[in-house]
Amino acid sequence: MKRKQFISSILPAAFVLQPSVLLGNNHHIPGEAEAIKPGYLKKGDTIGITCPAGFITMEDIQPAIAKIKEWGFEVTIGDTVGKKDFTFGGTDEERKKDLQQMLDDKNIKAIMCARGGYGAVRIIDEIDFTKFTKNPKWVIGFSDVTVLHNHINRNFGIASIHSKMCNSFPYDWGKAEPIQIETIESIRQCLSGEKMSYHIVPNNNNKNGEASGILVGGNLKTIETLAGSKSDLITKNKILFVEDTGEYLYSIDRMFWNLKRTGKLDNLAALIIGGFKIKKDDTEAEAFGKTLEAIVLEKIKEFSYPVCFDFPVGHQKNNFALKCGVKHQLTLSSTNGLLKEIS
Amino acid sequence: MIKQPPFLKKGNTVAITCPAGYMAKDKAQACIETLQQWGLEVMVGKTLGSSSDNYFSGTDEERLNELQAMLDSENIQAILCGRGGYGVSRIIDRLDFTKFKKKPKWIIGYSDITALHSHLHTNLKIASLHSPMAAAFNDGENKNEFITSLKNAITGKKLKYKCAAHPFNKKGAASGELVGGNLSLLCHLTGTKSDINTKNKILFIEDIGEYIYSIDRMLLQLKRSGKLDKLAGLIIGGFTDMKDTERPFGKTVYEAINDLVKEYNYPTCFNFPVSHSKENYALKVGVNHQLKVTSKSVLLSEI
Repeated sequence: MKRKQFISSILPAAFVLQPSVLLGNNHHIPGEAEAIKPGYLKKGDTIGITCPAGFITMEDIQPAIAKIKEWGFEVTIGDTVGKKDFTFGGTDEERKKDLQQMLDDKNIKAIMCARGGYGAVRIIDEIDFTKFTKNPKWVIGFSDVTVLHNHINRNFGIASIHSKMCNSFPYDWGKAEPIQIETIESIRQCLSGEKMSYHIVPNNNNKNGEASGILVGGNLKTIETLAGSKSDLITKNKILFVEDTGEYLYSIDRMFWNLKRTGKLDNLAALIIGGFKIKKDDTEAEAFGKTLEAIVLEKIKEFSYPVCFDFPVGHQKNNFALKCGVKHQLTLSSTNGLLKEIS
Repeated sequence: MIKQPPFLKKGNTVAITCPAGYMAKDKAQACIETLQQWGLEVMVGKTLGSSSDNYFSGTDEERLNELQAMLDSENIQAILCGRGGYGVSRIIDRLDFTKFKKKPKWIIGYSDITALHSHLHTNLKIASLHSPMAAAFNDGENKNEFITSLKNAITGKKLKYKCAAHPFNKKGAASGELVGGNLSLLCHLTGTKSDINTKNKILFIEDIGEYIYSIDRMLLQLKRSGKLDKLAGLIIGGFTDMKDTERPFGKTVYEAINDLVKEYNYPTCFNFPVSHSKENYALKVGVNHQLKVTSKSVLLSEI
C-alpha cells in the first residue's frame, strides 16, 4: 500500500477511536454538542458492576447478574460490590480504584453502577478519564450517578445511560409487574443500539408542542449541587429532564429557582419533569400552598418551549433508560406524547 | 471597597418585615419591646402576622412590595427580618436596589436571609448584618450576649468575639472581608448572580436539620466551585439538629467537614457561635475582620 493511501485509510478510524482529537474543533465543545456514543454491546460483551456511591451486598446484585447474562452479556463484578464503609460501597480510595479500573479496562464495554445513594462526587475529581475518552463505554445509573452523567457530558462529550441500577432488578421475575420488566428491558435496548422511543401520557399541565435537542439531566438535587463546579451542565438548546425524591415542596421550589437563576431554563429546547416523590409538609400550617406543576410552570412562564409532566423517569417503577447526550425529539399534544431518539 | 450603612442613633427607626416564612405577631413582641427599650422606633410591616394561610408570610407580591418600600423609605434606618424559613430567592431578582444603593441601611437576619447578604455583598458592595432575628428575643433571652451583640453592631461598636478552642482548629491569624451564612443557601446561590466570590475572605458557614451526607455534599460543592481554596480563613459555626441515614455516614458532622478542609493551610475554627441555636453572634458581612486561632482560643475581631 502506498503511504498516502495508507494515511487516508487510517484517518477516519483514528478520529473514531480518539474523540478527544475532535476537541480542537470549534464545532465540538464537549457539553454543548451532541455527545459521542460509545460502541453498542454485542452478545458476549462484558458489563462491569461497581459501587461509586452507596453500599450493596453481593446477594443484592444477583438478580441483575442473572438478567444481564440472560441478555447474552458477561459480567465483571467490581471489588466494591459487598464492600462497606459505613454508608459507602467501600472507602473513597476503594470506590475510586474500582471505577478507574473499569473505565480503563478495554474488555469492559459498559459500567453499571450497582446503586446510587451518595458518594460519586467524593471521587469524581480523582478519576482519570484519559483512557475512557479514547475508548468510551456506556456508564449506567441514575440518582447520585447524575454526577457521572453530567461530568462526562460536560467535560468529555460522551453519551451515557440514565436508568435503573442493579438494586431495581426484581428477585422474582415471575412476580414482577410489566412496567418493571419493560423498564429493565429498556436498558438492554439502549445498550444494544436500538433507537429508543417513549410514550408519554398527556397531562393537562403540559405545554404542548414539538422540539428537538440533546437530552441531558438527572436528579434535581444533584444538578443543583453541581452548580458552579466543573461538572455543571450546559443546557442551551437541550431537552432537560429532572426528577427527585424525598424533598419538601419548598426545597423543590428553591431548586427550580437555582435552575432559573443559573440560566439553565432560559434557552431550553424543552423541559421534561419526571417523577417527584414529595415529602409531606410537617404541619398543615406549614403547607407550601403550591403544587409541583405550579412551581415548575411559574419558572418558565415567559418561555414557549414544550414542557411535560409525569415523564416515566425517576425513583419509581416506571423509570425508563434514557440516553444522555443524544439527540431526541419531544412531541406533545392533547392526545399524545412521544420522546424519540433521532440521532 | 465595602460600604457600611450608617449606624443607628436613638430615635432611628427599625422596620420589621418577613420576606420568607410566616411569623405570628406575638412571636415578635419581645423583639419590638426590646428595640424600643434601646431607644429605637419600630415599624412593623404587614407581612408580620399576615393573613397568609400557607407557608409564606404573604404572597410574593406582598413580601416583595413591603421589602421594596422599606428599602426605599428615607424614614427607615434598618430592616430586621422577623424570621427566615424559605422565600427570599423567590423575590430577590425583582427587588430594585437603586435607592438603597444611594442610601444604604442595615439589613438584619440569617438563615434564608443569607440570600440577601450574599446578593448585597456581590452586587452592591454594601455591608449587612448576619444576626439573631425576632424570635431570638423570646423566653427572656432579650438581654443575652447574642442579642446584645446585635445592639452593639447596629450602634457602631467594633465587634470582637472570643470562643473556646476546638481539637480540629487550625492555628494562625488572617484578615479579610467576612462573608458567608447558611450553607444550604450558599450552595443554592452558586452560579446565580447572588453567588459570592470568597477569594482572600473569611468564610463562615452554619446549618440546621440536614443529613450529614448532605453537609458533606454541600462542602464538596463549595470546594468544587472554587470557594475554599483561596480563603483567608474559615469559620465553622453550629451544625445543629443533624440527621443521619439508616446506614450511618460514619463521621460526625465536624469530622466530615474537617476531612474536607484539613488540606488547607489557612486558620480554621470549629463550633464558632454562629448558628440556628441561641449561640449566634451578630456578624457584619462584608466588613474586614481578623481571625486569630490559637491553641487556647479563637478571636474574631472587626478591623
